[in-house]
Amino acid sequence: GIQGIQGIQTCLRVAGAAAARPECFLSVQDGLAADFRAMTKTLYDLNKGSNIVRGGPLKELVIENFDEEQIWQQLELQNNAVLDFFKESIARDAKDEDLCLLSDQEEDGSDAETSSDKELEDNIMEAEAEQKNVYTKDKDKTKAKEKQSKLRENIIQKYSDEDSDVDFDIEALEQQAKTAKETTWKKTGRKSVVDDKFFKLSEMEAFLEHAEKENEEEEDDINYFEDIISDDEEEDSEQAKAKPIKSSRDMTYKDFFDPVDDDDDLVANDVEDDEEEEADSAIEEQNEESMSEFEDMNEMVEHMRSKEASKKVTFSLPDDSETEDVTEMQLEKGMDPGEIKSSFEKRQEKMSKRIKSLEEALLEEKPWQLKGEVTGQKRPENSLLEETVLFDHAVRMAPVITEETTFQLEDIIKQRILDEAWDDVVPKEKPKEEAFEYKKRITLDHEKSKLSLAEIYEQEYMKLHQQKTEEEENPEHKEIQEMMDSLFQKLDALCNFHFTPKPPVPEVKIVSNLPAISMEEVAPVAVSDAALLAPEEIKEKNKAGDVKTDAEKTPTDKKREQRRKKLRKRMRRREKEKRQKLLEKMKPEQGIKLSKKAAAAKLKRLAKEGKASLLKDEGKDKALKSSQAFFSQLQDQVKMQIKDASKLKKKQKTEKAFSVQKLKL
Amino acid sequence: AAGTPPPASGAAPASRPAVSRPLQVGKGELRRIAVPANRYTPLKENWMKIFTPIVEHLQLQIRFNLKTRNVEIKTCQETKDLSALTKAADFVKAFILGFQVEDALALIRLDDLFLESFEVTDVKPLKGDHLSRAIGRIAGKGGKTKFTIENVTRTRIVLADTKVHILGSFQNIKMARTAICNLILGNPPSKVYGNIRAVASRAAERF
Repeated sequence: GIQGIQGIQTCLRVAGAAAARPECFLSVQDGLAADFRAMTKTLYDLNKGSNIVRGGPLKELVIENFDEEQIWQQLELQNNAVLDFFKESIARDAKDEDLCLLSDQEEDGSDAETSSDKELEDNIMEAEAEQKNVYTKDKDKTKAKEKQSKLRENIIQKYSDEDSDVDFDIEALEQQAKTAKETTWKKTGRKSVVDDKFFKLSEMEAFLEHAEKENEEEEDDINYFEDIISDDEEEDSEQAKAKPIKSSRDMTYKDFFDPVDDDDDLVANDVEDDEEEEADSAIEEQNEESMSEFEDMNEMVEHMRSKEASKKVTFSLPDDSETEDVTEMQLEKGMDPGEIKSSFEKRQEKMSKRIKSLEEALLEEKPWQLKGEVTGQKRPENSLLEETVLFDHAVRMAPVITEETTFQLEDIIKQRILDEAWDDVVPKEKPKEEAFEYKKRITLDHEKSKLSLAEIYEQEYMKLHQQKTEEEENPEHKEIQEMMDSLFQKLDALCNFHFTPKPPVPEVKIVSNLPAISMEEVAPVAVSDAALLAPEEIKEKNKAGDVKTDAEKTPTDKKREQRRKKLRKRMRRREKEKRQKLLEKMKPEQGIKLSKKAAAAKLKRLAKEGKASLLKDEGKDKALKSSQAFFSQLQDQVKMQIKDASKLKKKQKTEKAFSVQKLKL
Repeated sequence: AAGTPPPASGAAPASRPAVSRPLQVGKGELRRIAVPANRYTPLKENWMKIFTPIVEHLQLQIRFNLKTRNVEIKTCQETKDLSALTKAADFVKAFILGFQVEDALALIRLDDLFLESFEVTDVKPLKGDHLSRAIGRIAGKGGKTKFTIENVTRTRIVLADTKVHILGSFQNIKMARTAICNLILGNPPSKVYGNIRAVASRAAERF
């Protein structure tokens, strides 16, 4: 009992002394460390003395020749054992409505007051540890606040461990800072012009007052229920007030600073602070003393306000300039809902709403589209059909034919037609190389070469070097010759009056009429037999076909030939007569000459027909050459006369006979 | 240690003026070429044609060592060209292998002629009758095939039992070697003619 109180008092004294000179902590203080260790031991033993809570297995804290780490582990053992008990008790007390001492506005009845002092006294570390584990900005706020309140009541036993010194101090500070803030909020609850996310004027005022008070009260008895903010944490408090500080090692940007979005944060903070305010009304009773001091501070602070304003840190955000106005307005918005809002206000409202909705969307579970690999089971049925999916095509897609494409094509076609740039296929000509020419290129000589190798190479060398000169001469000569020829031809044309052009040089093609067989024997491959005369050219072919002898001719052949002969003769005769008549008409003298012949011919014709008879001139006109011939001729003539006469008589007789008969009648 | 004393400051070391001497071949370098028995008589017959160009044009000394049956070629003071000895040795060697003197003479006159030898069995392992047939294919009837290859590729070929020696420029040796190898491997001569003709025409076009 008394021993315990004494022990605690000594501890407080030591701790207070140490805290009063924070600069000492910058260097290693062995004496201070030993003091703190002793303190720890006394407290631990006191705990063990009271049998309210079943703690760890160790009866007392052993610190002689022990490391910090070992001492810590001993403490942990104790803490873990008691943790569960405390959880249960708190839960139990929380449910119990009779025990509610805080105002109805609270979200839940905190039982900070009901838990006994002893319990709280015993296990500060557990509370801290719990707070460490449990405290977050959003969750378990109220629980944390309960712990805070517990801690406040039992104030300080600072652990000696140098490693955990910082931790502990910060944790203590954190709770104290929170309480300080809460108290200030509770009391002042007002926003000033200079407020921003780092700095809250009222907080500062509160802190300053507290510090003043602390300086005054250090000699007196320690007020258990008073906040004590150690000097070296003054700077941190301002910044760290708004944030939960876990441990120096785990601190991140967001522990120091609010999120970038100014307005909402301020709003949120304000809201938070309001909540805190409500939740901790219980503390109000205990801290009434300190409140007055804070109020005094406020006036002081107001003097500093102008300075503060200039030092204030601003982010270059669009709405930055109007943060204070906004906050004020937002504060007032709750107060005057019926008022007409300005356009800016409306905009801001919308923005904040939108931001809220976005935040909610972000916090929600993401849609299946954003979840990475999604199988068919993980998404709704046929959901992929509504999605436009992008993927690489391995095959080139067929072009989509639209009106535009057709127009484009037509334009191209029209332009091509105008340019006459047809895509006609140029017929490829295969370079035809005759086998002969190919063989001519390299003739295979199957005999032993007459030239020796040296001579061959010699010849080649000479050829190489001479070839160049030869080629240079000949083409030039040829060209010159051609040009001269054309020139002279033109000059001749101009000079000569009777210009006779040169006869075109006939192309002489030698056609030898040799029998084909002789040509084929010796001819090289290149010579063709187109140059020879055909047999028909030598002798014309008979229309009938083969030539036949009289014996071979058939009757039809003979008749055919006869007809042709007759026809030819007829034609000839008619032509002759025509010519004769024509001649008589035109030239009568010539007609007379020819009339003798014609008369003779006529006579002959008549004699044949029997119309004219020719007096035979039986040789009288013949010139008598020899006498014998004359006499014989005379004899013959006489004989002939006698024969004739006798023939006449016979004829007369016969004729007379016939008349007698007639007469007898 | 005794050494020439350093010259006086600034003065160049005293020395005799350099004598300009023509680049001389080391005196008395010797090359020996062995002569097999079957080439003994041809060597005797063509001796005049062999030693004249060597002695007159290359300025070397040549002799036939009867005891060792070697043709020995030596440089002397009159020798001007360093490569003359190599050329002469190659020339005699070519003759000994079986080439004609006029053909071997090309080795002296032209720089870029080479001599290549290989065996028929190097190309394909043949034995007995197959080997004989291969040699017959290379030679052809009356040496026709061999002469054809020689003419088209501008080389000289000597076929000594199973050994083949080719004399000519590098590209031509390659062509002839390919042709002969094809014949050894069994291609008919007509095919080989076609191939070498194509190759030779391409080579001729290029140059």
